[in-house]
Amino acid sequence: MINVSAGVPLTVKVVNGSKERIEFESFKLNREKVVEPGQTLVVRLPALRPGSYDFFDDFHADVPEGAIVAR
Amino acid sequence: MKHFLFSILPLSLLSLVALGPLKCSAQVDPWEFEVYPYATTPRGMAEFETDNAVVTSGHSEGGEGTAMGTFASQKMWFNAYEFTYGLTDRIEAAVYLAMAQPNGGQLQWAGEKFRFRGRLFDEDVLPVNVGWYAELEWHKTPQFDDAATELEFRPILEKDIGPISIMLNPKFEKVLSGVGRGKSFEFGYVAGVQYRWTRRLSPGLEFYGGSGLIDQPDRISDQQHYVFPTIWGELPGGLEYNFGVGYGLTRGSDRVIVKFNLELERFVGALFKSSEGRGWFF
Repeated sequence: MINVSAGVPLTVKVVNGSKERIEFESFKLNREKVVEPGQTLVVRLPALRPGSYDFFDDFHADVPEGAIVAR
Repeated sequence: MKHFLFSILPLSLLSLVALGPLKCSAQVDPWEFEVYPYATTPRGMAEFETDNAVVTSGHSEGGEGTAMGTFASQKMWFNAYEFTYGLTDRIEAAVYLAMAQPNGGQLQWAGEKFRFRGRLFDEDVLPVNVGWYAELEWHKTPQFDDAATELEFRPILEKDIGPISIMLNPKFEKVLSGVGRGKSFEFGYVAGVQYRWTRRLSPGLEFYGGSGLIDQPDRISDQQHYVFPTIWGELPGGLEYNFGVGYGLTRGSDRVIVKFNLELERFVGALFKSSEGRGWFF
């Protein structure tokens, strides 16, 4: 879980430390990014309303979902 | 880009309400009732899609409603197969095979098209996310269109406000060969509002239409304008769907069209290195 401040634009660094390609995806945040092994990707997000925003690896359904929580 | 948009949009929107002698032709593409967002297919990803539309209540003569050739639109089934590939993080390429089944006829080849689509800058760098679209299409004439080859350009605009996405794709089409060659650009539009409710099921509202030639718009009653309430989401196995019922708003429109699109996305391998944040159009 990533805690962030609500109402402020932010960037999230997605680091793929694995040896497989991943896809950072969030339906609620309308983001979908392929990240190569060893690559770091910056995902820009607008100011969020308070709430929880799920994200997941669309290439690995077995990996648990994460959440960005804006307070 | 912004200056181009600001200069050409008022002219085109003005043409929506102007009166003119010519009939609306190809600004509504019945093979693809789909609104394009700012985001492109990720690099190395392939997307297989089938777009379907059935005119359940249309016109009984060719050249009316969504039928642009000699076949009538009534009970016509438009069926397209699309393959899209993410070339880079910002640019995708796609090819389409267009098929159609006229009322009482057989499913047959109706045309093909090829397009590039891209996005400019990263998300939320500009107040409105901006993309672009360029397409070359050819049709089976005169059955499905009176224009043999057409070129189409669209700016793509998207604004996300919380769970709501507002998308606008103004369309500018030029006939390269066939009827209409030598005339100016035609104006059409594709627009949509989507509410992200759940991954499985979300509602939306889509708009399609056209006003004819930019410098010689059709009479409003001859123009085509549609509104589609839609549902969309993801089925098990990653299959994405978009279903909608479209209602024609003018006499020149078909009265009711049902559309159903299905798409599946898979990683197949990247041709180019990552361009995220460094080049390939900002």
